[in-house]
Amino acid sequence: MKYASQRIAYVYFATCMLLLSLQIVYGFIMAFAHIGYDVLHDWIPFNTARATHTNLLVVWLLCGFMGAAYYIIPDEAERELYSVKLAWVQWASLVVVSVTAVIGFHLNWWEGRKFLEIPRPLDYLVVINVLMFLFNIGMTALKGRRFSTTGIVLYTGLFSAALLYLPGMIHFNSQVLDSYFRWWVVHLWVEGVWELIMGALLSFLLIKLTGVDREIIEKWLYVIVGLTFVSGILGTGHHYYWIGAPRYWLMVGGVFSALEPLAFLAMAMYVVAMSRKGGRNHPNRIALFWTISCGILSFVGAGFLGFAHTIPQVNIWTHGTLITAMHGHLAFWGAYATIVLAIISYAMPQMTGRKRYSGWVAEWAFWTSNVGMLGMTGAFGVAGVTQVYLERRVGMDFLTVQDAVAVHFIGLVLAASLFTLGIGLYIWDFIAHGLPSLEVLETRDQDTAVKAAV
Amino acid sequence: MLSKSQARRFFVGGTAGFSLVFLWLTVDTITQTAERSNEQNLTAEVIRGKEIWDKNNCMGCHTLLGEGAYYAPELTRVYERRGAAWMQIFLKDPQAMFPGKRKMVQYHFKDDQIAEVIAFLKWVGEIDTNGFPRKPDLIAPTASSANATASVGSATGSSAATPPALFTTVCQACHSLAGTGGKVGPALDGVANRYTEERMDLWLKNPQAVKPGTAMPNLGLSDKDRTELTGWLMTLK
Repeated sequence: MKYASQRIAYVYFATCMLLLSLQIVYGFIMAFAHIGYDVLHDWIPFNTARATHTNLLVVWLLCGFMGAAYYIIPDEAERELYSVKLAWVQWASLVVVSVTAVIGFHLNWWEGRKFLEIPRPLDYLVVINVLMFLFNIGMTALKGRRFSTTGIVLYTGLFSAALLYLPGMIHFNSQVLDSYFRWWVVHLWVEGVWELIMGALLSFLLIKLTGVDREIIEKWLYVIVGLTFVSGILGTGHHYYWIGAPRYWLMVGGVFSALEPLAFLAMAMYVVAMSRKGGRNHPNRIALFWTISCGILSFVGAGFLGFAHTIPQVNIWTHGTLITAMHGHLAFWGAYATIVLAIISYAMPQMTGRKRYSGWVAEWAFWTSNVGMLGMTGAFGVAGVTQVYLERRVGMDFLTVQDAVAVHFIGLVLAASLFTLGIGLYIWDFIAHGLPSLEVLETRDQDTAVKAAV
Repeated sequence: MLSKSQARRFFVGGTAGFSLVFLWLTVDTITQTAERSNEQNLTAEVIRGKEIWDKNNCMGCHTLLGEGAYYAPELTRVYERRGAAWMQIFLKDPQAMFPGKRKMVQYHFKDDQIAEVIAFLKWVGEIDTNGFPRKPDLIAPTASSANATASVGSATGSSAATPPALFTTVCQACHSLAGTGGKVGPALDGVANRYTEERMDLWLKNPQAVKPGTAMPNLGLSDKDRTELTGWLMTLK
């Protein structure tokens, strides 16, 4: 850690851990409901659990991105954060909005639009919150001594994410247009600007962990985010096949969705190639593990599994089934959860001075959570394929099919338990790092300094 | 070899170019939507129905146009599949319809709110969705029901060959006939052998009077509908 103000990232990371734990709890509630144990129905009906589960995901990822930005932007701009006080205020307001939203979901207070469930008044608070954040890191970057590509890409990603939140706030009476513009937020976030953020975080980690020349890493960063947008913008079309939009979206969406895995493949190759190429042997292997798993699993989950059901001929059968849940889980885990966990794994030893990365806890956390998530993806996949065939192609009754696939949700619960064990270990490791300390302030990445001397 | 500035040009140029194409297609989509979604039928009642739909986060369990959650049935074509009569009975008391099965929240909708939700779902059902959801294709859906009606027809004469609309929309939500339909209630093949016409009529009128504690809901059918349904059910020998 180079600057004292980078410590604010810890607060955001700690919030991530808390929200992630809660997200898992709500996931279990839904899995049990699918098996038939909807015992909490009167207090937490499925739609509440579902909205809470997905919104907590979005908030903890955003929280992780923000923490990462508070850590990275000072590092890249080579100066203290513009205002630590503002960062605290922003954190507090983010927590207040999230807590209010989650409580609201339990009282039937929401907007009922998939992924954008939080009620309108809170939307405005989110906008103010994000403006505070962008102002703070923007001023830090502007007043900084260095404008790095990584910093610029990260800022562009965060800024565009904020901008793209706005189309989701326009009111439409028509379900078709409502859905059309809702995807401007949801799709252009996760298959567009969030990938910018992800790419920037990856390149920051690769620069730090592998020692490959910044110019080379950043050149490829441009190529990757370029590929992301070239495929991802018109790839939005795969959400427009069946919502009442014109037929040409089948062609446009189909072709450009098929290109989307290229960006993720490039990302995976980039991460693997750079980490092989690097001469530097950074001792924080766990952070590199998470970085590599991000590159690879984002390709498998978002790229490959996404592609597998965005072809229109397939999608007409799989659209709106558990197949989407299969793709969704590995995509979000691979592309976004792992990158946040990677940056936390990198930053915690830097901020606290405790080198816990060589212990077994961090390593087991990595393997069990990843294997658990792959198992969950498999369970959703089997349930989804069965549902598609029995319900969509044979025409069996919905509830009959749900009974038939319930057994796969037992598999899901087992895999999720393994996953939860991994996350539990990760959080234990997080807590064991203790609080950030000013004693570790150094002008260079301290581990690198040691290694370079050797 | 590619230089960093070339890479940057690829990123900026590609993003700008494809954004413009996307905006152009968006304008075209908006212009076409009015016709494809029958915007002239987007009445105040439909809009209020959408508000109820959103306000209660129905997409938190159901999918509509394939979007939402996967805990409850796809509703794009529910109006066509179940009809207004069934939806009305169901929305009054959702947990009565599929007892012991997956629960829907009881929202205590008033009659006009139910009508609004139904109007909204009817409007959605008429959107040109490019063929979604596609009809099941592995077992031709007409084959099994054609067999059923054919056997019924041969036994009773041609007048009862096709079931009344209420049978396919309401009854088959829970009961099956020749393998088609729900599995919540018993199959109705040969039901005429188990009931007299009088008893069937009473059963449809007030299930609790025939079998106290039964899971069969009181459907509140009109006399005319009930008579038609009873008449047809009695042909299922």
